[in-house]
Amino acid sequence: MADSDGDRFSRQRLHWGEEKQRQIAESSILIAGLGGLGATVSQIMARAGVARLHLVDDGSVEWSDLHRQSLYGECDIGSNKVLVTRKRLQAINSRVEIVCHNTRVDNTFCLPPGIRGVADCLDNFTGRFDLYAAIPDGMFFVHGGVQGDQGQVLTLIKGASLPLDEILAGCRQPEGLIPVTPESVFAVASFMSSELFQAISGAPKLLNRFLVVDMAGFTLSFLEV
Amino acid sequence: MLSGKAAIDLPWAEGETVGRVLLKFQSVELIPVNHKLIDEHGALHTGTIILVNRKNILHINGLDTPVQDNDVLSLFPPGAGG
Repeated sequence: MADSDGDRFSRQRLHWGEEKQRQIAESSILIAGLGGLGATVSQIMARAGVARLHLVDDGSVEWSDLHRQSLYGECDIGSNKVLVTRKRLQAINSRVEIVCHNTRVDNTFCLPPGIRGVADCLDNFTGRFDLYAAIPDGMFFVHGGVQGDQGQVLTLIKGASLPLDEILAGCRQPEGLIPVTPESVFAVASFMSSELFQAISGAPKLLNRFLVVDMAGFTLSFLEV
Repeated sequence: MLSGKAAIDLPWAEGETVGRVLLKFQSVELIPVNHKLIDEHGALHTGTIILVNRKNILHINGLDTPVQDNDVLSLFPPGAGG
């Protein structure tokens, strides 16, 4: 039953090496939104061994979440998402420090101290713009979004990149429920996680360019911004 | 993307604007797209961003944004959900 990080991370260390593992193990990442993207991104971050995860969401688990939100099950209906997520992540990797923020991201949101980078897993554009406004210059911001069977990932560096609200100017929230398939959420969350690891090691691959994921056409494309 | 193609080359003409390029796209590809992008008052619908050389046209001059020869016009509907 004894655990050692040597065993736990042996496979990924073989792939990306000691230095990257050290950088990941020293990182504090804020995950904004614990829906489809946030549930899977936070799980991958915990499994990979980040030092600390700040989880931000004010929602509860609903039946309509279960088809795509990988950390939740029927027994969690009605439960607070940040608390369920903390419990599941601690069961996966008890060494990760989990800090819960049971709050909505709006224009009053303040970023906790010590954050290395932010994962935008929110489900609305207004919250995304408020989140981007809350981060300091120089911080990386990995944005993800999904709709239907498409999605996108984009990395920005605050102060050096165009602001998110300028790039996405004109985007407003669709009325009603947003259609979304389970597999597109998992795919976009995986690309977000990969990009987070790249950004943690100082070499984001999607800096100032969208990765557009089209599950229907089995295509990936890029769009410079 | 709107025509199922990643990219399409269109001929350029003097005085080209984003609005005119979209009309040209419709006539060349025979795919009606303007009703998806522009409302009955001639204003841009929300939901699709239009970039000219990486800049959102809402920060330039909207549909009247000038398009030069060899400019790249990108249309992309970002997913809103998470």
